[in-house]
Amino acid sequence: MTESLIWWSIAIYLLIAIGIAIMSRQGPSESMSGYFLGNRQMNGFVSALSYSATTYSAFMMVGLAGLTYAGGVGALGFEIIYFAGVSLVAVFGPKFWAVGKKFGYVTPSEMLGHRYNSKHVAMAVSIASCIFLIPYSAVQLAGVGYLLQGITDGAITFTTGVVLATVIAIFFSYIAGIRSVMWTDSLQAIMMIVASTLVAFLVIQGLGGFGALFDTLATEHPQSLTVPGPGLFSFVTFLGLTIPWFFFSISNPQVSQRLFMPSSLRSMRHMLIGFLVFGFIYTMVSVLWGFSALAAFPSLASADLATPTLLASEFVPPVLGVIVMIGIMAAAVSTIDSIMLTLASMVSRDVYANVKPNVSEKRQLLVGKFVVPVIALMALAFAELQLDLIAVLSVAASSGLVAMVPALIGAFYWKRGTGVGALVSVVGTSAFVLLMYATGNSLLGLPAGVWGIVVASVLFVSVSLMTKPHQASSDAFFTAIAEELGKKRRTTTEQATKEAAA
Amino acid sequence: MKRSKWIWLVWAVVLLSYLVPYTLLSGVAFWYGSFLFWMLAGLAIIALNVFITKDFEEHSND
Repeated sequence: MTESLIWWSIAIYLLIAIGIAIMSRQGPSESMSGYFLGNRQMNGFVSALSYSATTYSAFMMVGLAGLTYAGGVGALGFEIIYFAGVSLVAVFGPKFWAVGKKFGYVTPSEMLGHRYNSKHVAMAVSIASCIFLIPYSAVQLAGVGYLLQGITDGAITFTTGVVLATVIAIFFSYIAGIRSVMWTDSLQAIMMIVASTLVAFLVIQGLGGFGALFDTLATEHPQSLTVPGPGLFSFVTFLGLTIPWFFFSISNPQVSQRLFMPSSLRSMRHMLIGFLVFGFIYTMVSVLWGFSALAAFPSLASADLATPTLLASEFVPPVLGVIVMIGIMAAAVSTIDSIMLTLASMVSRDVYANVKPNVSEKRQLLVGKFVVPVIALMALAFAELQLDLIAVLSVAASSGLVAMVPALIGAFYWKRGTGVGALVSVVGTSAFVLLMYATGNSLLGLPAGVWGIVVASVLFVSVSLMTKPHQASSDAFFTAIAEELGKKRRTTTEQATKEAAA
Repeated sequence: MKRSKWIWLVWAVVLLSYLVPYTLLSGVAFWYGSFLFWMLAGLAIIALNVFITKDFEEHSND
């Protein structure tokens, strides 16, 4: 794979992606919900592809394959439990959507602030999200850096890769806000699923077929087919990794904000099912990549090299290797640009507009647009620190975001939950998780990923019981959900009435 | 049974995804061990979600 082939491919990809981004524009959007939510009019197909692209970052193809290489089949279990957690969308999605429509929420933090009648809750959730998601974005950027460096034998340096991805991410967000992000995401998702499946197919063929691959694993690396296996996935580690990821679909604002965007519940369903089908294929492909790398190249210096080594191997034609490599870069970009937009909307809507009341939508939007590159540059700085194991750092982000989960569940299911309870739970748990990571991530033998949800729940429930709930706002919230979700399609109701009469 | 109650079956699949590979399958070092189990769990999750969200189609948009 030559350097010029790589640069040409990046140029062609950019040309197509920029074209799509420009076509996605629909006149100037001057409102927050226009820019950040696509006017709540996104259809199911684009939503599904974009949801997939946002969720499955560079972590999947580099990190999950690497995790499989190092820890065996436990990596698949980890991903399947995350995947099952996306079913939370089937439960919470319609409720998010209903209140978003009724009260005009732009961000999940705004929703929590309104539900608990506390500006401080909205601000705390926004700030905590920034604290955890900026390092997470940095991890994605680092993924691109490692990949380009690994695959070109250092001809393209880590820093070049990281800077390139940052610039593209800023650019995609600027063209048309969430619309350009979602359309370029869709391009990336389609390209990736086709190319990566093809690579898995070719590599497995090259290794003698599915049966031969698993025979090699069973004879030479039998531990890779069981848990705890080679040792990475002890049950406690597995719990610590999976619990935060199980709640990812509601705890991570860049995906929970998506629940405000579909044009109808029908679109939301298509988003969910489309994502699940996509995610399942993508998961299996990534894990098979990791297994193939283990069978073919058992003595790599670092597990993160599994994917680059596989792509540069004789099994994959150079052009396909380059397409997948660009796809992985685009995957990192599609995750980062969504995170940047979400964080920017939270900072302007829930921090700026709360500190400085009575600011116009236009002004909020301006501030949001200013924050986008600031966040990107912060992520760039973190990526340059070159921290080692990609998967572990991104899980630290998820452990922290679990802080929002009890307050979110309580918002929809527990009228007795209070603003003070939510605030203490979010701030206390975030601080706790940070402290855990700073001190070796082990308390009574358990990691932050396990403790986070326990601490957050205990704080939320106990402080709520000690304080008074704001009756009026919780009543308005629950009534809105009941009213909005009670609407059936008129034709169905009419038909039912007719049938009953007959 | 109300359709939305089926979500509990999803949570049951999650629980089994923790228990079975770490107990029954911890000695089965073949493709039909934990690999197959988790793959089937994934497919079950898709099928359950298709079923649970069927009612979404009937919701009015306005």
